[in-house]
Amino acid sequence: MRLFFAALLLVVGTIPAGAQWLDRKTPGIPRTADGKPDLTAPAPRGPGGKPDLTGVWEADNVLGRPDPANLQPWVLELSRERQLEYYKGRPMYQCRPSGPEAERFGGWKRIIQTPAAIAILNDDQTHRFIHTDGRELEPNPAPSWMGYSVGRWDGDTLVVESAGFNDKTWVSRYGVSHTESLRMTERYRRRDFGHMQLEVTFTDPGAFAKPWGFTVDMTLAADTDMLEAICEKSSDAWAGSLSDAANQGVSVAPDVLARYVGVYTGIYGGGERTYEVTASDGKLFAKLLGPPIEGGLGAAGLDDSVPRPLVPQSQTVFEGLGLGYRFVVDDKGGPATALVVIHISGPYTYKRVK
Amino acid sequence: MRLLFAALALILGTTPATAQWLDRPWPGIPRTADGKPNLSAPAPHGPDGHPDLTGSWNGPVPEIQFDPANAQPAVNALIRQRQREYHKGRPLYNCLPNGPEADSSAGWKRILQTPAVIAILNDDLSYRVIHMDGRELEANPAPSWTGYSVGRWEGDALIVESNGYNEKTWLSRYGQSHTQALRVKEVFRRRDFGHLEVDVSVTDPGAYTKPWGSTARMELEADTEMLESICERSSDQWQGGAVAADTAVTVAPEVLARYVGVYHGVYGGAKRVIDVTLSGNQLIAKVTGRAEVDGGVIRPLIPQSQTTFDGVGIVYQFVVGDNGVATALIEIHISGPQRFPKQP
Repeated sequence: MRLFFAALLLVVGTIPAGAQWLDRKTPGIPRTADGKPDLTAPAPRGPGGKPDLTGVWEADNVLGRPDPANLQPWVLELSRERQLEYYKGRPMYQCRPSGPEAERFGGWKRIIQTPAAIAILNDDQTHRFIHTDGRELEPNPAPSWMGYSVGRWDGDTLVVESAGFNDKTWVSRYGVSHTESLRMTERYRRRDFGHMQLEVTFTDPGAFAKPWGFTVDMTLAADTDMLEAICEKSSDAWAGSLSDAANQGVSVAPDVLARYVGVYTGIYGGGERTYEVTASDGKLFAKLLGPPIEGGLGAAGLDDSVPRPLVPQSQTVFEGLGLGYRFVVDDKGGPATALVVIHISGPYTYKRVK
Repeated sequence: MRLLFAALALILGTTPATAQWLDRPWPGIPRTADGKPNLSAPAPHGPDGHPDLTGSWNGPVPEIQFDPANAQPAVNALIRQRQREYHKGRPLYNCLPNGPEADSSAGWKRILQTPAVIAILNDDLSYRVIHMDGRELEANPAPSWTGYSVGRWEGDALIVESNGYNEKTWLSRYGQSHTQALRVKEVFRRRDFGHLEVDVSVTDPGAYTKPWGSTARMELEADTEMLESICERSSDQWQGGAVAADTAVTVAPEVLARYVGVYHGVYGGAKRVIDVTLSGNQLIAKVTGRAEVDGGVIRPLIPQSQTTFDGVGIVYQFVVGDNGVATALIEIHISGPQRFPKQP
């Protein structure tokens, strides 16, 4: 809950009130009979005969969820630690460049292609620079946030190889680290005028057993423009970690915790959701049963089959990584009759079924 | 002094230990007989016949031509307030985009030119896009940090007109504010292969009576690469001006009067004149000459003892003779104290 609020406050996109200027017709693009951009026309080509990727693109959302089993133990451990800190250290939340982070391949981009170089401009006022003058990838460039990139054409596909990343960036919003040896390969295929597919692969044996990656579809954003989305407030002031919450937390007697243990079912986001609450070592944990669910979970982790700790804030209210958990008890001292999970959209009640 | 330290700590440029890869020769550029880039060769032109500004450029921060009499009183008041706060709120120091600030018109940048759009990429990873597709300047674009820019060619000069700025950016490191009605006109001229000149003029009647500006001069940085310079630590934790004011002591007006005078000396190899005047009970130093020290030309001196004053990041110490009249003024820099004898 807190995470959602913070993320909303953090990334301030400028939304114009009267935005006629945003609907300016892009000149010189193919149009259908009714005047709309013809996104299925052939892809344009540059003077060299290669596809020209220039334009404003909107990419689908990306979730960089590597298989936890593919991560070196230190990477998985760090990812879990970062989850307990609500991902407060995510470069984007710190107003720092996101570098190769998978999620940041989604959203708005402006590509400018010249024969010797291609620039990819992000809406957060960062950019990447890709040399296409035939040079090889540098073996040992100075580590940087955005890396060192060279591109070459493989038929109609632009293949970009990058190295020279510092190790401050993440490769996924789930706190997945990489080393300075990270290599990234991107393959851009502009299928037609309005559609491009991008395939990204991360290779970093010090962090991942096998290369992994994702694909993302990009659509040309014709007749509009990319707006700035500047991070103006870093996450420094965020409350911090679940252990901070625990330190200021209250203690709840084990026999009280035992009353909360059980299975609770209810409806969230139009679907049924079931929580299993367990107690161990005097601590309470909650876990979602059933298939993985994206969203609406506070600070979701790479592996949500791992129970998330619930930190007591009162005898009945617990903090669970961005969601509030309240147990409904009667005055008879029996087991809790329901669990109320408090989302940004309001409280949701889950009735005890076991 | 404090400001210099802070600025050094703030802007972390990555300097590689072994930088051979930084010395990669550029292919296809004119060279002199000894193989060096020939910066005075003719400027390249694109297929459309216009000069091509593409390349890596770098140049010193331009000197602004700013006259306080040209600024609205509220703007001058804000400039003074920002100086007292050691310019802590400068967007750059807050890890925010510099926008139209004069300092941004030079420094490291890469320019990529295509017929329909020109991109200017800065070493802090910020960038600007200049539309070259013939469109007019938008009447009312959404206010943004980097503005909305359209360009056109007049002969060999690229004329860029910009508007649509938010009012969070400054026009120089010295804290000149602007309104959302700010218009910026830039004239880019690539005189020859290696030299790019940018005349910048800012127009904003709500803040300045007449347009004013600066000229940036940059050289092509051939056979090398632009390195990232990322702001990783904002100025949130800076003390600001609070400490100097909190620790201020009272110095009697007749003592202050003995410090008034003109002090001459040398700083950074160039002559520097410090004109100390008294305005009410406030001692003011006007520093002219090579003024490449942050803090501004006009510096209020806040007394920290009977002879030592804080002058926006520089400590000023008056050397007094037997009669209490100052004989010299010492500026304490990070590089050591510099002595400026008083002129008779």
